[in-house]
Amino acid sequence: MLLAAGVAGLVVAMTMMIWRAIVGPSQYDRMLAANSLGTKIVLLIAVIGYLSGRPAFLDIAIVYALINFVTTIALMKFFRYRTLSRPLGPEAKDG
Amino acid sequence: MSEIALQVNFGLNIALLLMLVAIGLAIARTRSLLAAILLMGMYSLASAVWLIVMDAADVAFTEAVVGAGISTVVLLGAILLVRAGPVRHNWRMTIAPAVLVLGVGGLLVYAVTGLPEFGDPASPTNAHVGRSYLIQTSDEIGVPNVVTAVLASYRGFDTLGETVVVFAAGIGVALMLGFGPRSNLPRAPAATGDHHVVLRVTAKLLIPLIALFAFYVQFHGDLGAGGGFQAGVILAVAPILHALVFGLRGTIAALPVRAVRSVATMGVLLYSGVGVVCMINGGGFLDYDYLFPPSVEAMIPPGLMGEPYHAHHWGQHFGIFFIELGVLLTVAATMVTIFYGFAGRAAEEPGAST
Repeated sequence: MLLAAGVAGLVVAMTMMIWRAIVGPSQYDRMLAANSLGTKIVLLIAVIGYLSGRPAFLDIAIVYALINFVTTIALMKFFRYRTLSRPLGPEAKDG
Repeated sequence: MSEIALQVNFGLNIALLLMLVAIGLAIARTRSLLAAILLMGMYSLASAVWLIVMDAADVAFTEAVVGAGISTVVLLGAILLVRAGPVRHNWRMTIAPAVLVLGVGGLLVYAVTGLPEFGDPASPTNAHVGRSYLIQTSDEIGVPNVVTAVLASYRGFDTLGETVVVFAAGIGVALMLGFGPRSNLPRAPAATGDHHVVLRVTAKLLIPLIALFAFYVQFHGDLGAGGGFQAGVILAVAPILHALVFGLRGTIAALPVRAVRSVATMGVLLYSGVGVVCMINGGGFLDYDYLFPPSVEAMIPPGLMGEPYHAHHWGQHFGIFFIELGVLLTVAATMVTIFYGFAGRAAEEPGAST
């Protein structure tokens, strides 16, 4: 019952994230919503795994947690530098 | 599954499908490419959870790593390369496509009424070949994960085709964008200062973990969800994260373009090589029962894997192991090549998107 309530709460939170991502208004809102949705989904997968007696689903949750981090870095780098290839750090003089 | 779990699953199916519809409509409506990419990433996330609710763990794994991870990064690289903005449409031009889409969509909805019931044991997917796979896998192949048995052994030839398709896609991207960066990559700044020190440390911590997890997914693939395709993409994420944080120049110094290219080829070669060895030993192409001649198979100690008294199919075990390794090499190297192509080109023409 507790797990079912957890699922319901996560679904409500996911709906709010998706609403924010669709409405915007700025791209930063959308990025934050996408990142936060990823976190909710990691939790949701874990809860589903225990609810349906398949703890092996945690593997997929771990993949999400790792991949979501990389995606967020790629997006922030896109906003900040407009290229994927330059190293992070202060603006270098060469090009 | 308990009663409450079934009810939760039913509710989740409805909630997730509604979310997918909402995100899909938003993708169609938005005029910003970046917003579309973000929403597509969210669509992948939601659809992967839906696949998990449907108990298709292997597919959900693939959707998670490809849809939510790699494709977002590659699409970001793509919009850096194109000079695209919203186009003002004349509504008359949209009539014919709209009629076509509504017609095809209506036909599909009509076709849904002819589908068998959800979970119907008598439906064609559950009755004939799928059923015999489920019954025979433990006797003929001996791996716990039936998905891996079907993918790697029963349908090994199809999977070889898929691996070659991935390889060909990588070649196609490389022919358009180059196998790697063409010209001057930005150097690492001389003094990094305190900028992004948290990111650097986290990335250094995560890159080996991601690679380790990829190998776990690879070697655990015949026991649980996962396999060569998923592991290959996860493995490719590690150098991509390195390139994002420490710059493409450093990544290419560690993983040279030429090496990545040859690894992609070696994967396909390893896969088809296993098939040829089976043919030489008297079986069909990719018939792993003939992977080892009986004299070699007799030399394998009985307690090498699992319980010694259980009947083992060493040919099947090692055949699946080697072809999954080939898939891993090809997929990982192809993904890295694609990333090199996109990221390297963006470095060549800075500010092309603005």
